[in-house]
Amino acid sequence: MPVFKTPFSGYAVRFSPFYEGRLLVATSQNFGILGNGRLHVLDLLPSAGAAGISEVAAFDTADGVYDCCWSESHDSLAVSAVADGSLKLWDASLPPSANPVRSFREHSREAHSVDWNPVRRDSFLSASWDDSLKLWTLDRPASLRTFREHSYCVYSVVWSPRHADVFASASGDRTVRVWDVREPVSTLVIPAHDHEILSCDWNKYDECCLATASVDKTIRVWDIRATRAPLANLAGHGYAVRRIRFSPHRESVLLSCSYDMTVCMWDYRAEDALIARYDHHTEFAVGIDMSVLVEGLIASTGWDEFVYVWQHGTDPRA
Amino acid sequence: MGSNSPPPGNLPPKPWERAGTTSGPAPFKPPSSGSTSDVVEASGTAKPGEIVPTADRNVTANSTTLARPVPPRPWQNYGTSYGGYGSNMYNSGYGSGIGGMYGGSGMYGGSMYNSGLGGPMGGYGMGMGGPYGNQDPNNPYGPPSSPPGFWMSFLRVMQGVVNFFGRISILIDQNTQAFHMFMTALLQLFDRSGMLYGELARFVLRILGIRTKTRKQQQLGPGELPAPAGQQYLEGPKAPSGAWDSVWGNDVKGSD
Repeated sequence: MPVFKTPFSGYAVRFSPFYEGRLLVATSQNFGILGNGRLHVLDLLPSAGAAGISEVAAFDTADGVYDCCWSESHDSLAVSAVADGSLKLWDASLPPSANPVRSFREHSREAHSVDWNPVRRDSFLSASWDDSLKLWTLDRPASLRTFREHSYCVYSVVWSPRHADVFASASGDRTVRVWDVREPVSTLVIPAHDHEILSCDWNKYDECCLATASVDKTIRVWDIRATRAPLANLAGHGYAVRRIRFSPHRESVLLSCSYDMTVCMWDYRAEDALIARYDHHTEFAVGIDMSVLVEGLIASTGWDEFVYVWQHGTDPRA
Repeated sequence: MGSNSPPPGNLPPKPWERAGTTSGPAPFKPPSSGSTSDVVEASGTAKPGEIVPTADRNVTANSTTLARPVPPRPWQNYGTSYGGYGSNMYNSGYGSGIGGMYGGSGMYGGSMYNSGLGGPMGGYGMGMGGPYGNQDPNNPYGPPSSPPGFWMSFLRVMQGVVNFFGRISILIDQNTQAFHMFMTALLQLFDRSGMLYGELARFVLRILGIRTKTRKQQQLGPGELPAPAGQQYLEGPKAPSGAWDSVWGNDVKGSD
């Protein structure tokens, strides 16, 4: 299956919601500790088999890029979270000299996560290490709102895929918070883990179901109406779980990647929850995504500077 | 700029939008209609362009159920002493001006491999843009940060020199010690091998039937009276001259 070598360490990968084979990859030099970053726009070549990835565009930044996401309203727009705290809007159809088309600078520390609203499609959220989340729309020059309740770095923010006003954030203060953009404070706080929470994601088919991934090596699935105990506790990663994502096609399936260099697929309702384990990365696996348009198509990237795209069930290196 | 006028998205419907929700009612208000900007501004919660200062972050945290203490951050441990350093040197290209932003010799604190005893994963990406980190030809924002001043670079050079000589002296000390131990061991080896040779020689001579009579005297106990000619022992342990000569051969010279 296709493999792409990036010059820098991979941090995030996203499938385009518009084109089947289009990918966005965020990378940072020197493992993101120091140096430049680059945002790649990649295309899968349908008949080329292995090494069938071509680069459509690449955009350089002065600092590492920690996360990226496609716009849901325009097929060539993408937004990235940069290590200097800025959020940059890119147009993949324009040459690098015309990019970024917009740069939003309000976060005072590194921006670590962005997510575009998939329901209303006109706004996006950013999470930063300055403990705050910000809501942005393209028709305003500044952020629309700032959400400040976390008492430690916010590592991840995800819009609810079924509700236009609701989103969740995961933070290093060991809580996950659920927010409504119309409410002045968060609507729900879940002290989900005993260690820092690095990622969270909504179930695409159940608007009350939320999964969290933590430094304590576990993934927990929560029902936000009953947060006393998790619905499921998925153990199996050897180190902290960096990112999780629910499958867009199957309700109880989720994908995770971890600092133990593996990418795992889980079915949290099954007795034996671990469906598959992919150990193709030779360094920390940091970014994963599952295609909305092609069922079972998975992409992953990591600090070994490779981007793998493969069909679930096949060997990514084959 | 294509961002201001996005064309109507021909976005394919999401797989989950075709399916109904499977669980009970959600505890949310029904979604409002209209654009996000209008919805937020209608709710009265909009506060455009708010900059979060890093100083008062703990004040605003109205943690509702956060009972446990928050682990210390790397820059809280280290950053304060570097505050002025960081703010006037590194931040010119960033315009944020937060003291101690990049101060953090504990950048790697809490190694990623340990199972995470609160070691912040996030600590890894800190500190981008060192003194020269901003000189990227593709950087569209701001001039590169100014190089460090004379005293800063001079003191850095001095630190390097002192470190260098410190390391050299430690190495010399260790080498001396190792040589000393080597020599001690060598001398001891010679000493012991000589004694082994003597013992073996005595044994061989005994087998050959050559008697070394002096041994008998040397085996006297402390309280035992010496042999008739043993008044030399009254003088103490000082051996007479030539006492050793009789060890090897049968040239009877000392006693008897």
